[in-house]
Amino acid sequence: MDTKHDRHAGIDAHLGRRSFLRTAGVGASAAAAAPFLQAWTVEGAERVLTIAVPNNPATFDPMNAANHDAMVVSQTIFENLIEVDHDGNLQPQLAVALPKVSSDQKTYTFDLRDDVQFQDGQKFTAEDVKYSFEYVLDPKNKAFRRTLFDKIWRITVESPTRVRFDLSEPYGPWLYYMTKYMGIFPKGSREKHGDQYFKASPAGVGTGPGTFVEWRQNDYIALKRSPNYWRKGLPQWDRLVVRVIPEDSVRVAYLMTGQVDIISAPPPKDFVRLRSVPNVKGESKPTMGGWFFLGTNVKKAPFDDQNARKAVSHAIDRAMLAKNVFYDLVDPAAIPAPPRGWWFSKQANDLNDFDLEKAKAHLARSKYPNGFEFEMMIPSQPYLLDVKDAAVAIQAQLAKLNIRPQIRILEQSVLLDQMRLGNHVSALQVWMSPGEPLYMIDLIYGKDKGLSKASGYENPEVWRLIRDVYGAKDQPALKPIFAKMLGILATESPHIWMGFVHASNLWREPVKGFKVNQGLTMRVKDVGKA
Amino acid sequence: MVRFVARRVLFSVVVLVAASAVIFVLTRLVPGSPALILLGPEAKAEQVQDLERRLGLDRPLAVQYARWISDVVLHGDFGRSYISGLPITSEILRTLPITVEIVLLAFVFCLVVAVPLGIVSALYEDGLIDHVARIVAIAGVSVPGFWLGLMLIVCGAVHLGWFPPGGYTPLSMGLGAHLQSLVLPAFSLGIYYTAIISRMTRSSLVEVLRQDYIRTARALGLSRTRIVAYALKNALIPVVSVAAMSVGYMFGWAIIIEQVFNIAGLSRSLLSALFQRDYYMVQAVVLVITIVFVGANLAAEILYRALNPRVRGTA
Repeated sequence: MDTKHDRHAGIDAHLGRRSFLRTAGVGASAAAAAPFLQAWTVEGAERVLTIAVPNNPATFDPMNAANHDAMVVSQTIFENLIEVDHDGNLQPQLAVALPKVSSDQKTYTFDLRDDVQFQDGQKFTAEDVKYSFEYVLDPKNKAFRRTLFDKIWRITVESPTRVRFDLSEPYGPWLYYMTKYMGIFPKGSREKHGDQYFKASPAGVGTGPGTFVEWRQNDYIALKRSPNYWRKGLPQWDRLVVRVIPEDSVRVAYLMTGQVDIISAPPPKDFVRLRSVPNVKGESKPTMGGWFFLGTNVKKAPFDDQNARKAVSHAIDRAMLAKNVFYDLVDPAAIPAPPRGWWFSKQANDLNDFDLEKAKAHLARSKYPNGFEFEMMIPSQPYLLDVKDAAVAIQAQLAKLNIRPQIRILEQSVLLDQMRLGNHVSALQVWMSPGEPLYMIDLIYGKDKGLSKASGYENPEVWRLIRDVYGAKDQPALKPIFAKMLGILATESPHIWMGFVHASNLWREPVKGFKVNQGLTMRVKDVGKA
Repeated sequence: MVRFVARRVLFSVVVLVAASAVIFVLTRLVPGSPALILLGPEAKAEQVQDLERRLGLDRPLAVQYARWISDVVLHGDFGRSYISGLPITSEILRTLPITVEIVLLAFVFCLVVAVPLGIVSALYEDGLIDHVARIVAIAGVSVPGFWLGLMLIVCGAVHLGWFPPGGYTPLSMGLGAHLQSLVLPAFSLGIYYTAIISRMTRSSLVEVLRQDYIRTARALGLSRTRIVAYALKNALIPVVSVAAMSVGYMFGWAIIIEQVFNIAGLSRSLLSALFQRDYYMVQAVVLVITIVFVGANLAAEILYRALNPRVRGTA
């Protein structure tokens, strides 16, 4: 017979179970009700375009911007006389046409648009162009990109809508650098607002379609439609939100759930599959300036030995890396020229490309016939492309010759500093440029340039050929110069080039007008949503 | 008790001062001058020295520390970020509440699930529910938080569409949306300590239920509910201490959860500052997290003292 205590114990246990079940039931009901609660995005009548990039910007100042994904912000706020379009062609922007160039190629005259206003309502004139360029060229302003424009020795305002640039020597590529590495701002704006304003909150000081609104670090940057934009009918959004989402899978999840409209840098292994998902589109386009390379230091062992460098270059199967590691989102190349570029030289490429027998022969002639070890730095966080898998694959390929890269993971800015100072032995890197043929070659292999120490390579013949490129007028004149230059670089192999990366994006179906940019940075001024 | 609390608070202040000094010195020991970072690696030596003079970096370390800590304590000024140039204090004020909210939600979830689970496991020791709870606990401590977070995003956001895949929706956009954005991160953050605390509750309660005074209480005919209530009072003492400490630890784990769920909280600011070598920001955020940890430790000690009659009244 149950005692009173047993009955109580039974009731109490029953009550305990009941409480537990009640709690669980409430929790389950709450979870079930969740979908019917208010949605987590609120979009009223405002047209909002949301895009996702993988990296935080360090600055919005166009003369100092370095992150090509985050440049979407500065390129939406600021404009320049000339822009580079999706396919890498020069197009007039604040100028009415491409410049008139003198026969000696040292004078560039631009006729400017008369219908442009800055976002704060000020009228754009040639004075603003002169001011902006002179600000960048003044060494005390420490513009990161100053050296790209330092051949300009005089800027003359001929009228409110005409400006003339006089160069110290022929130097055509500077037109290609205007989009990524500079922008036009109002005369006096730097003194009025200060550099910190341009760096963190450049509201009203550009001519572009978007006016800066706010920047929440590690979260998003918001721009709003500029009512003064000179291209009527554009932009097709009222608000642009640039979300910073470093994790690849989370960025994809945001796209799949409709939280963002366009993403950059989708993970290569998922790109083909994701393109076939309903309501998702994707495209990849080869860049002309996305270098993927092993930056060796010719001033440090073992890469002070040319045969050691050649051995490594010939031992790397670039086609295998491009296909199996990067899922065809890299175009393999053994020289610093993209296979699809008009300046590519197959002959030079063959001098450096995968060939195990040549690799063995070079190794035998080197100071390290039995193989060697070297440090290979890689970035801890992917920038443009994650090279960790490629580093491991390269280790496996080089092991056949008893060449043993020791992987060292460093934060990217630390790694870059090491390369700039020439303290590295080697670093596996992806660097982006506007796609103009000579930019990276001059920057790295030119005489006393910004990244000359990243290779330590000094060859007066190459320097002379670089100057010849600047002096040549058209492709028929340029091709043989490039062929010769690439031949020298392939023979001496100061770096081990792997290939050229693709720019790839995924976007949702309602997005219209979006095209992948061969310069990698997303272009959103003429993008809308259906 | 008041004297005890005062002593503990004083001791915590001493710990914080010592910790702040260690944080400051360690940051300064990192190779490379902050002035060089600001100017870039190609800056000339005179430029670096000039900026160091202007930033006070050429002063003795003790003087730099005194200036920094006095700015922090007296003006709440942690300096400016190297990267953005923005005041660090405003960044902390913006991001700290987000992390605090996630940690508190995770903590509440933890207690709401772990303590009842532990109690039921103890009451039905070696029964089915005890075994299930044990498996859940093992899974909770074994599964990496970042993996769990990603799986929750795939299932809960991408496939089911019940929750956003990440991000923080402020309260101004609606309570429902706000809570929805916090459910998955709080769950991912809290699951580990849910496992720990449930097992701790269980083992502590089992031990107490075996005590002589509990047997006496049963013999006296007290109801099971009352017995369990008496036992819980004693059993939960160590659990409360561990739970209070877990708040501090969750602040550390939040760095992974905020990265996975793309939440712009304080811990993610720390990660971003580390990657960009924003030393002043690292210094400030580590100090804030240290304050939270010391505070949680202090709360645990005070609670333990308040709840445990055996130490109450002793020095």
